[in-house]
Amino acid sequence: MTESFHNRLMFVIAILLAIVYLFPLYWMYITALKSGSEMFATPPSFWPSVPEWGVYAEVWQSRNMGRYLWNSMVIATGAVVLISVLGTGCAYVLARYRNVWVDIGLFLVLMLQVLPASLMITPIFVGFSQFGLLETPRLAVILAIAAKSMPFFIVLVRATFMSVPMELEEAALVDGNSRVGAFFHIVLPLARNGILVSAILIFMQAFGEFVYSKSLIQAIELQPASVGLNSFMGPNTNEWNKIMAYATIYVTPILAIFVLLQRRIVSGLTSGALK
Amino acid sequence: MTIQIELTGVNKHYGAFHALKNIDLSIEKGTFVALVGPSGCGKSTLLRSLAGLEKITAGEMKIAGDLMTNVPPRKRDVAMVFQSYALYPHMTVEDNLTYSLRIRGIKKAEARKAAAEVAATTGLSQLLGRYPRELSGGQRQRVAMSRAIIRNPKAFLFDEPLSNLDAALRVHMRKEIRALHDRLGATSVYVTHDQIEAMTMADHVVVMRDGVIEQQGQPLELYDSPANRFVAGFIGSPAMNFIPATVNADGLSLTVNLGTLEQNLQINQPLPPGRHVTAGIRPEHFRLTSADEGTFRVPVAVVESTGSATYVTTLTDPELTLVETGRSMIRAGETIGLSINPDQVHVFDAGTGTRLARE
Repeated sequence: MTESFHNRLMFVIAILLAIVYLFPLYWMYITALKSGSEMFATPPSFWPSVPEWGVYAEVWQSRNMGRYLWNSMVIATGAVVLISVLGTGCAYVLARYRNVWVDIGLFLVLMLQVLPASLMITPIFVGFSQFGLLETPRLAVILAIAAKSMPFFIVLVRATFMSVPMELEEAALVDGNSRVGAFFHIVLPLARNGILVSAILIFMQAFGEFVYSKSLIQAIELQPASVGLNSFMGPNTNEWNKIMAYATIYVTPILAIFVLLQRRIVSGLTSGALK
Repeated sequence: MTIQIELTGVNKHYGAFHALKNIDLSIEKGTFVALVGPSGCGKSTLLRSLAGLEKITAGEMKIAGDLMTNVPPRKRDVAMVFQSYALYPHMTVEDNLTYSLRIRGIKKAEARKAAAEVAATTGLSQLLGRYPRELSGGQRQRVAMSRAIIRNPKAFLFDEPLSNLDAALRVHMRKEIRALHDRLGATSVYVTHDQIEAMTMADHVVVMRDGVIEQQGQPLELYDSPANRFVAGFIGSPAMNFIPATVNADGLSLTVNLGTLEQNLQINQPLPPGRHVTAGIRPEHFRLTSADEGTFRVPVAVVESTGSATYVTTLTDPELTLVETGRSMIRAGETIGLSINPDQVHVFDAGTGTRLARE
């Protein structure tokens, strides 16, 4: 097998896998534009014959999507701010100090990541209701998401901090700065990219979060878009084009952010690993 | 002369590891002191303790008369040049230079003026707007130096600052650092593992091993009368030859054991007969003669010539290294004679390695 043939084969396999992965996305986009009868036609059409663009405005209006997306936004922003503020300090300590307690802490942090949300929701629900946190359900969801996504953030940001040489901090100390000053002047600016990328990833995760929001938020006017999409679907649903239009409106901004920033995200994720 | 840095009974433990053991050291104002030793000897730990980056476990540390033992680095008023230079990558050269001034609340215009002045003396004027990643190794080194100079500190601390440069640049920077030290009248402590750097740059050399100061003094003092076998082997290049020997009945000569052959060697001070010792002779102190002259006869194994000097390795056990300046007619396989001035024979105790005889 020659080198170039091998490369071409790999390329074809990669394309095939990408098609399998991206097919649902493609199906979402075209189904949204199909008419009622075309949706159920056999064999299915792979391109809408008469695209119905009006469906977006209709769904936006009828499902009150503005409110749902606002709630998603509030929850995601809250979670990102909370995680960034708490997680950055935590990651810094875990990156700079090495002893048994730090190792134990790191192990626990990693373990938290293993636990699935659907397992954690029951104890969280019971605990939150006793603290009265269910009175402010969006805050409750923010806290729950922060607890769940924090390990991911800490692990990524810790790697970023570890790539900042200790000597730079020491130079700042000798130059006349305090430990705190050196952190804000030297370490933080150098770790900024890694922190930003991690925060964006957390934001995208939190924006699509479903399990906690569904369980903790009863009031429709406080529910995020993920729960709104779920309540759109029932056992007898046949408005697939509208559901897909909803999903399109929900998901496209996140996809756009990811595509725009993907180069930075990839380099941010690997910056700690390479060096 | 006033004492600028004074250490008394300094100890440092890392858990069970005893990194510095009872270090006593006084450094006069304006001197250039080199801390030299193999890696892991504690020289960097000692320097970092002076900067306040490591907390010492016991002892006292004074800088310019003030007790510094528990003072944080920022209040010690010392400047440090790191091995990796540790330039702030997100700041321009100018910002790197003025960082310490800005922290102290000095006005921006004033700090910029100071940076321009320092840059002019170190040849960085054209580079003030650049970022560290846009500079060559030598230029980065200069920025690191300038960053230290701009503060006019009580002491300069150098942590192997030249080890990342290529050989030619290293020799050049050696002179430049020393010239800078003289011009500023500064007090400098310079850590290196390279004894040539220590010998050529310093007024006072401190040789360390395993957290202990083995010997300190002027460079040539260390070369001429090393206090023990370790210092003798560490100072000087190529390293001193060590030969096991026994003191003869007359007390004024040694029988040296070179494997298959035993030879007599005169010494310049009486020692108790029968004592087991180690004779140390520097490669440059052998005089190479023809086989029928000289006090020793040795077979030659290898001859290496650099043009300016010839290095001869003998076929003995232990093998000896000899140096002759200029070119040599000696060929491998020949037998040659060696003569040695008794004043240039160092005698060490075979067990402890401490120096015996001769002042």
